[in-house]
Amino acid sequence: MLKFIPIKAHAGIVGFESPAAEYSQLRLNLDQLLIDHPSATYIGIAEGESMKGDGIFSGDLLIVDRSQTIKDHDVVVANLNGVFVCKKIDKVQKCLISSGKGFAPYYLCEGDEFQIEGVVTRSIRLHRAFKKKL
Amino acid sequence: MYALCDVNSMYASCEKVFDPAIRNKPVVVLTNNDGCICAACGIAKQMGVGKKFVPYFQVKKELEAVGAVIRSSNYELYADLSQRMMDTCARFAPDMNIYSIDECFLSYGKSVSAPAQGWHKLAEAIRKTVWREVRLPICVGMGSTPTLAKAANHAAKRISGFNGVAVIDSEVKRKDILSQMLVTDIWGIGSRLGRRLNLMGINNAWDLAKQNPTKVRKDFSILVESTVRELNGEVRHNWDNVRAAKKEIYSTRSFGQRITEIEQLQFAMATHVEIVAAKLRKQKSLAAAVTFFASSSPHDYDGYFSESYFHRFTVPTNDTINIIKLTQAALNKVFKSGIRYYKCGVGLMDLHSEQLFQYDLFSPSTDNPKLMSCMDTINARFGRSTLHTAAKGFEQKFAMRREFLSPQYTTKWSDIPKILC
Repeated sequence: MLKFIPIKAHAGIVGFESPAAEYSQLRLNLDQLLIDHPSATYIGIAEGESMKGDGIFSGDLLIVDRSQTIKDHDVVVANLNGVFVCKKIDKVQKCLISSGKGFAPYYLCEGDEFQIEGVVTRSIRLHRAFKKKL
Repeated sequence: MYALCDVNSMYASCEKVFDPAIRNKPVVVLTNNDGCICAACGIAKQMGVGKKFVPYFQVKKELEAVGAVIRSSNYELYADLSQRMMDTCARFAPDMNIYSIDECFLSYGKSVSAPAQGWHKLAEAIRKTVWREVRLPICVGMGSTPTLAKAANHAAKRISGFNGVAVIDSEVKRKDILSQMLVTDIWGIGSRLGRRLNLMGINNAWDLAKQNPTKVRKDFSILVESTVRELNGEVRHNWDNVRAAKKEIYSTRSFGQRITEIEQLQFAMATHVEIVAAKLRKQKSLAAAVTFFASSSPHDYDGYFSESYFHRFTVPTNDTINIIKLTQAALNKVFKSGIRYYKCGVGLMDLHSEQLFQYDLFSPSTDNPKLMSCMDTINARFGRSTLHTAAKGFEQKFAMRREFLSPQYTTKWSDIPKILC
């Protein structure tokens, strides 16, 4: 009686090494594209409807860069009386402008605690909800 | 030239970065398990609250009265902000040494020639940039040696008129700043050494700087001699010995709630063994001795209990399993039923370099470096204690209590800051 060894035989076929193997580190990374100054950038989440004119909807992600120089009419995040707000800044008239319809500009007055926290360099619209809960 | 940059009340300042509502309030941060105060912001200090290492429950009413904001230690947040601060500082110098979570030395090489804008303007630029980009307040001190940079930093922070930036770049300034500093304010001079120096009539840093270095070595130690030389502009510290391998490694922590069962104490001890042994392997050392200790709280009413167990290894080790085997003997010594344990810990002592250690032919090491390196790699990749010993148990009742924890704004997606639109 012939005995079989119950092991599958392997032929020595290893195929060609993928010519792209050496380049695998080139996969795109969104951080690289969206974040210019990693140590000065933070990500926040928008709440409210007042910035729709700039395409910022409630629940959008905001990428905020603290190292940018602030230009007139930039979309910024500021600390207004202890709350982070996202508005357009008018440096000449010293006011915060909401780009959504029906929102009046906010003129800064003396008693206000006000600091610009950074420039909103990008906002990310989530056309579908995340699979995982944020 | 050297610069020392450090964050003012690091932990309390970190709490303010993403919470603008508390920026003008007194903020106090508590240690592990919310036991003691470990940091207070400038506003709290001015109000006279937030003394370091005072048990929280003792000053709870006092803090409430001034409307203080209480926070548990949020290490995830502090570590991330620390990294950002270091990255920002690093842009301003060719060489850098991170000294602790909130301070770093910048080194500009041996040449003392000032940059185009001058040292003072450069130091101001570092301070402003860290504030603008990371929202952390820092002080910057510069001097021709690390010790003088430390002294300048002390002046920047403590001596009025400096506003967060001080540079020792002339004899006049060196004398001015050093004569306004107590000897104990000098880097490396502790309070005991300070008392001895005071007895000799050496009261301020300038007095010490004027001493004869050779005589100081005879009277004290080579470390004090180095300090004297550094105060006079001769560089003695270098990056390597600024952070030499530790001579002892401890892991100790108070429990979230008191422990009375022997199993829970064993789990806690094993946890500490895992932590210290991993640290030991990271710095490539072997330990020749170990101590286990446990105690009740000195603030409890039923009397203070504290006991420890010491063991010396025949062959120095850095193997978690070899050390964990001792927990049983240690428990026999430190555990007594009826004691409400508040704290325990493990310390490794008499450390030797792994590379330089001379092994003994007749008592071979029982360490299993392959297993340990495998465990360390897995834990580094998948998170602490993914792989752990069974001695540590699976249900730990003493886990950290962090009742006043702020969100992890920069490391956890669900915690990113909300911005009102």
